[in-house]
Amino acid sequence: MNYTSFLALALVAFPLTNAANAVERSKSEDVIISRPGVLPSAVLEMTDEPGKWFKDPKSGGSLVVIKPGQAVLIKMTDTNTDHTITSLLWQPGAANFPVDQERPSNASVTQTFDKPGLYVFTCKVHPYMLGAVVVDDPTTEGLDIGAEIQLVTGAKVPTTSDIAKKLLRTFFIGTTPALWRDYRTPNWEVKLPDLPINLAGSVLKLSALNFSEPNALLQPQIPGVGEVWVDTQFEGVSGKTKHGTATQIDASNWTIKQKVKGVEQNMNNPHNMWTDATYKYIYQTEWFDKRLTTFDRASGKVYNTQVVGQNPSHAMSNPLNGMLYVALNGEDRVLKLSPGEFPTALGNINTGPHTGPHGHHITDDGKYMITPNALASSVTIVDLASEQATEIPTGGVIPIAAWSDMDHKAYVANLLGTPPKMLSSLTVIDIDGKKKIKDIDLAENYDPISGEHKGEAYGLGPIQTPVSPDGKYVVSANFLSTTITILDTKTDKVVKSLPCEPGCHGVNFGLKKGGGYYAYVASKFANDLLVVDMDKLDIAGRILLVDPKDGQITGNYGMGGQGVLPLPLADAGMLAPTLKLVGTGKLSPEVEGWLTLVTQQQRGN
Amino acid sequence: MTRTRPQCGLSLFLALSLTWPGALLAASAASAGDQHLITLKASAMPSGQLAYEMVSHKVKSSTGKESDLTERYASGPTIPGPTLVMKEGDAAEVTLQHGIDDAQLPVSIHVHGVHYKIDSDGTMKLLNGVADEAAFPGRPYTYKWTAAPGTAGTWAYHDHAFGNPMLGAEDKGLFGTLIINPASGKVPALIDGKVVDVDLADIKREFILWMHETTFWGQELNHIIEGGKEIPLWTNPTVGARLGEKVRFHVIGIGTAFHTFHLHAHRWIEAGTVGGAVDTVNVGPISRTSFVVKAGEGVGPGDWHYHCHVIQHMQSGMMGDFKVVE
Ligand SMILES: [Cu+2]
Ligand SMILES: [Cu+2]
Repeated sequence: MNYTSFLALALVAFPLTNAANAVERSKSEDVIISRPGVLPSAVLEMTDEPGKWFKDPKSGGSLVVIKPGQAVLIKMTDTNTDHTITSLLWQPGAANFPVDQERPSNASVTQTFDKPGLYVFTCKVHPYMLGAVVVDDPTTEGLDIGAEIQLVTGAKVPTTSDIAKKLLRTFFIGTTPALWRDYRTPNWEVKLPDLPINLAGSVLKLSALNFSEPNALLQPQIPGVGEVWVDTQFEGVSGKTKHGTATQIDASNWTIKQKVKGVEQNMNNPHNMWTDATYKYIYQTEWFDKRLTTFDRASGKVYNTQVVGQNPSHAMSNPLNGMLYVALNGEDRVLKLSPGEFPTALGNINTGPHTGPHGHHITDDGKYMITPNALASSVTIVDLASEQATEIPTGGVIPIAAWSDMDHKAYVANLLGTPPKMLSSLTVIDIDGKKKIKDIDLAENYDPISGEHKGEAYGLGPIQTPVSPDGKYVVSANFLSTTITILDTKTDKVVKSLPCEPGCHGVNFGLKKGGGYYAYVASKFANDLLVVDMDKLDIAGRILLVDPKDGQITGNYGMGGQGVLPLPLADAGMLAPTLKLVGTGKLSPEVEGWLTLVTQQQRGN
Repeated sequence: MTRTRPQCGLSLFLALSLTWPGALLAASAASAGDQHLITLKASAMPSGQLAYEMVSHKVKSSTGKESDLTERYASGPTIPGPTLVMKEGDAAEVTLQHGIDDAQLPVSIHVHGVHYKIDSDGTMKLLNGVADEAAFPGRPYTYKWTAAPGTAGTWAYHDHAFGNPMLGAEDKGLFGTLIINPASGKVPALIDGKVVDVDLADIKREFILWMHETTFWGQELNHIIEGGKEIPLWTNPTVGARLGEKVRFHVIGIGTAFHTFHLHAHRWIEAGTVGGAVDTVNVGPISRTSFVVKAGEGVGPGDWHYHCHVIQHMQSGMMGDFKVVE
């Protein structure tokens, strides 16, 4: 296992050129009137490279150690798109904190740190980009983490608390690809170095966070219908400098059909997909870039790639007319395009100032679109016929994904909860009434200090939260608790928590053969796809996303699971336009074959 | 190299100058001015940024007098790198050493403004079609520059090889300033409301401000200290002068951003105009401006703000003070 970043952490010798001393004092005291500014003692370079989103050019790791009074330059280097530099957590009372760039750009930050302890930075567009600064007082034993940390959500917690440990573990796993969960090996071993860390006087070793879990794949007993696409956003590909593939899985036998790589196009961090009514085209967003790529579903052949705007995150079609809507996470708009082999931009829908929409959703009758505005604590409801947009404040921190049910009730995942009370939350929106109904505490049964969780409501850090096609459940992928929570929509209570994988992220529903649904869950820092049986509310499978036959993959095998697109589409309203094409000759024999397997219940009858 | 040219027959010389027009100018200039022998090193800063540092700078004048200017420079690598000052008519041999630990990748100097032959382009063969014009570990590379008439001005030099043979690593800090002073020894300036020629010998301080993304990286060239002194001022510094002193600013852009440099309460003449006064200048990547002001003229002492006028850059702290004291 590779411990470069930890070694670097342990070996840093604090060489320093003191800015003030650079001016020779001898004879120049009264002659030199200029006064030097800050000289950074360390640098974190923001990149598109998985796990190295804030990269120390010296160690290659994502953590730098400095002394009190020193400064760190955080800048954007190897990246094709805009980001923000934003404090995720910091030391309470630290001067000049928090850092928060209001809107995405390529602007750098030179930040001076006065108070010893841990500081973590992220990007509001890509909130798993993580970089850390430890301000270490060299006179104390061990690396200073501090007594407490202030979270961006407003909560202040002791560093000895369970939530602080979860954040630390998430940081080290996320930024160390060697610690990602690889299902090709028998065990997942998280081994951190025996580095002493100082939590307000009590010194313990970083290795206290170590753990080990067996890796066991599981073949679902009942096949699915059609296929499942998963964006394996972090896979390395020979011939590309940027990462990511789209993996196609045959749901009838759970084997990988192909990986679409976009080598010629240097496809960059493919994040989320959609299709057209015929299932001929896959529309692929490149989230760390400005592009939308269109490829052939069956052959994987890339038709074209086009610039659509900063950080295209999700794509989804209107079932009424097939128009494609692409959310631009680094901007304040959703782009509307015509479907087909070469989607053509037709216009923009403004979601409101500084909104940064991420995982939008279109109601299955095609009337409304709801955008969760990651850079504002709000959602925007768009009447798709008039294109009138209404922004509704929600109070959530980083609303990242939304999903509406047949009755126009939408569930919005707030990645970092709803201050001041909820560490983790879903906001419920009445789309017709254009108002917020309430917040649901996803972690009601969790004690952030002790870590105890008595009861099922144990979901921290929800990302995607789709409503099941029958409207009964909301399934959330929670990155911080690494759990999947299942909420009953009748009571809006969490009825089940299931174990997920590190970096638990994308969820979508597919058709189970013979009736019912599977929820497919993809995780960024693991190479399996979880299959949840929605009739049993239990894990039915863990499918490996590595294709051992594919010699073009060069690293992070099967890793980076984010957007999930099962075909046929499971929502009856979304499936309807395709069912209408049966027998018209517009569908391939393969798709016609899938549709014969769709039950009356799945058709929404 | 240009000095060996006159040995060639006149016809050959003319033919050469026809195929490479710069040769004639270069040859005539070299005989008139000083010869600079400069050794620079590309190194890593404690932060992991990369930077140039001065190893040695010797000058042989046309009269044969030799002097060593090395002491004038800051010790160690700095951002921006050492400011090289020449005058029209001078020539330089600049040797670059590779001092970046644990890196085998080549590093180079690509210079703007002065004349040079294609083997001094500071780029890789992939780009120039001739040679890898870069320093490798243990293998320095020497560039030959001629400050021909007409090259007076403030110019950038930067890496064009490290890490990326098409771009180089200027973004990581490998950039510096080359000032070519006019042969006349005078620069026009707006002083006490009139455009006058200011004698360079009367300029006490020069401030170099590089605009990189959302940060100013500064340096002072102080001419009051005997022999002159280069003082690194790092990020968004305070530059300072005494009331009434004539000071020269050199403002240069690097990276991808476009900026609007603004200095409060002072005006200067816009390059290329006859006395058109300005107090802002647009600065894009590697574009530059240089101007003289009389510190506090008409406004008196104070902490006069300078900053980039692009709002987002200002919000990111792209600013500092011009401190004018009695
Ligand atoms: Cu980002
Ligand atoms: Cu997403």
